[in-house]
Amino acid sequence: MLTRINVGPIHPSTHGVLRLVVTLDGDTIVDVEPHIGFLHRGVEKLAENRMYMQSESYMEKLDYAAPMAYSDLYVAAVEEAMGIHIKERAKYVRVILLEFQRIASHLLWLSAFCNDLGQMFTMFTWAMKDRDLILNLLQDVTGSRMFYVNMRLGGVSIDLPQNFEEHANKLLDYLEKRFKEYERFLEKNPVFIERTKDVGILKREDAIALGVTGPVLRASGVNFDVRKDYPYYVYEKLHFIPQVQTKGDSFARYKVRMQEMKESIKLIRDALKLMPEGDALGMPIKLISPPVKEKEVIVRRELPRGEGMIFMVTDKQRPYRLAIRAPSFINLSALRYIARGARFADLFSILGSLDPVMADVDR
Amino acid sequence: MLIDNFGKLIVEIISIFILILFFDYTFGWLERKSIAKAQFRHGPTYVGKFGILQNLADIVKLLAKENIIPKNADKLIFSAVPPLLLALFIFLIYLLPFSNSLGIELSVGLLAVFVLLSFAPLLIFLAGAASGNKFSLIGAQRSVIMSLAYEVPLILSVAAVALYAGSFNIANIVNSQARIPFIVLMPIGFVVFFIAMLAELERPPFDLREADSELIAGWLVDVGAPYYAIALFVDYTRMFLGSLLISLLFLGGWLGPYLPGLVWLLIKAFAVAIVIVIIRATTVRMRLDRLMRFGWFWLLPLAVLNIILTFMLFVK
Repeated sequence: MLTRINVGPIHPSTHGVLRLVVTLDGDTIVDVEPHIGFLHRGVEKLAENRMYMQSESYMEKLDYAAPMAYSDLYVAAVEEAMGIHIKERAKYVRVILLEFQRIASHLLWLSAFCNDLGQMFTMFTWAMKDRDLILNLLQDVTGSRMFYVNMRLGGVSIDLPQNFEEHANKLLDYLEKRFKEYERFLEKNPVFIERTKDVGILKREDAIALGVTGPVLRASGVNFDVRKDYPYYVYEKLHFIPQVQTKGDSFARYKVRMQEMKESIKLIRDALKLMPEGDALGMPIKLISPPVKEKEVIVRRELPRGEGMIFMVTDKQRPYRLAIRAPSFINLSALRYIARGARFADLFSILGSLDPVMADVDR
Repeated sequence: MLIDNFGKLIVEIISIFILILFFDYTFGWLERKSIAKAQFRHGPTYVGKFGILQNLADIVKLLAKENIIPKNADKLIFSAVPPLLLALFIFLIYLLPFSNSLGIELSVGLLAVFVLLSFAPLLIFLAGAASGNKFSLIGAQRSVIMSLAYEVPLILSVAAVALYAGSFNIANIVNSQARIPFIVLMPIGFVVFFIAMLAELERPPFDLREADSELIAGWLVDVGAPYYAIALFVDYTRMFLGSLLISLLFLGGWLGPYLPGLVWLLIKAFAVAIVIVIIRATTVRMRLDRLMRFGWFWLLPLAVLNIILTFMLFVK
């Protein structure tokens, strides 16, 4: 006999306002039907009615776990459209801040994932505490904790403060130590291994067919990272290895993110060493009315959740049409395929391992 | 004779009830504080010194709220079960001796406790099934299936204890640990008993019935605030029962130097409770099918091995 259960939109572990209609046969999941759209704000339409740089703060709200990555994506699209040259130091500053943002986002994911597995709030508070240190650092740079709005055309709005390098290195050393502790804490726990290994397997072919990106794709054995394959800013000068796992289960996705945080630490260290002196400030928002060069632009960036893409048809002062490829949305669509046949208890850990942000899904 | 003992009986009943309240309250505070310590938080600080009155404030708040019984629920069963569960656990504590002078001595105390204890999953099943909510129903089903996994090893590890002591009388069992506590004599049995007890107490990693992240609160999803207060009381009383049983059967109960017996027993019970809380802070929840596998493939053979070892080494 099949049972249908409605999970969410108010449920403690649906990562926001996701509604799932689950069909169960005993304890086994027959089908999961995600219902989305509770957080739809029409950001793409809103951007059509605003001048180019007014939309930046809207873009940040798309992914509240990693806002800076999205504002960078949008600003990069505008820069591409206007043919603006980015200052050399600004490229490094952006890479450093974005990688910090990536670590912060993955830490938030880790905390939520352990909650989904039923380890109520221990790992949550540990990871959140470390994330907070990163937020403090970003606050030192940009002046705000959550929505930074720090990217400007051709550069950033505020350059790194004077003692940033020292602070950043100290924080990176600390984080490196903490990540080792996390790995020991989680991977030596047989119950954690049991709950994540061989759970929610996404095969390589399916991953490619479904179009998932980011850590989810790399956990399925596809070596694709926009930072490596279509390098932007200074990523080609910096040394890092895209993290790939072959298994495609929850544990592989955990492992990819864990290793990625370590790679980000390496990246930041490299970038701090190579960063040139000079000016990193971009154009002030008010002074922008440069002619638009391109008619249509498309940019891609590796966001913490996967590949973000913006397709923009330009007009004189504002975009004529803007389309966003949200990584969470496409990653979430894989849930239906990988949750089939799993146990009901594993549904939320599988969902958590995909790392959806509902604001990003619904746009 | 009954009249002679009546006064003593009343005193014992009242003093044990005060003990239960004392443990429940202190443990409630201690759990919140120590969990907070593990998680870089402060825990309750505002109400009273070190937040010691926080639980009292919570209980007052919960009891002052309206009791809502869901429309789909079977009203009688739904409203009868939580108080019944509470009564069951309090009654079970009354069956235990607290020292040579406090508490009753039943010749079949051990049997009585574990027979009655196996009613708890059934009552939880009733409560969950009667609430008319699918999440509760899943929690209720898990409750019954879970008990299949841990009841047998639990009883078997207790059987080894009774075998060694040669008695079902808990006071005799404690007194036969005068030289060496059973945790040293049968470490395997202790581990099995402890793990099975964790499942019995619904403590992580076996808190499948109320799995917060999947089932919201399992069989407690639909209960109103006053019943939730009762459920908290049940939880802490069950904790008292569990830690008392562990310390009576394996840690030498009230035996210990210098301090009076009751104090030793409470110290041991609190120590066991804190260990259980630390386990809660560190481990991920187990899955039902894995728990079954664990129960039948690990706990059961270990419990049998323990009985065989006990029989061969100690029983002549």
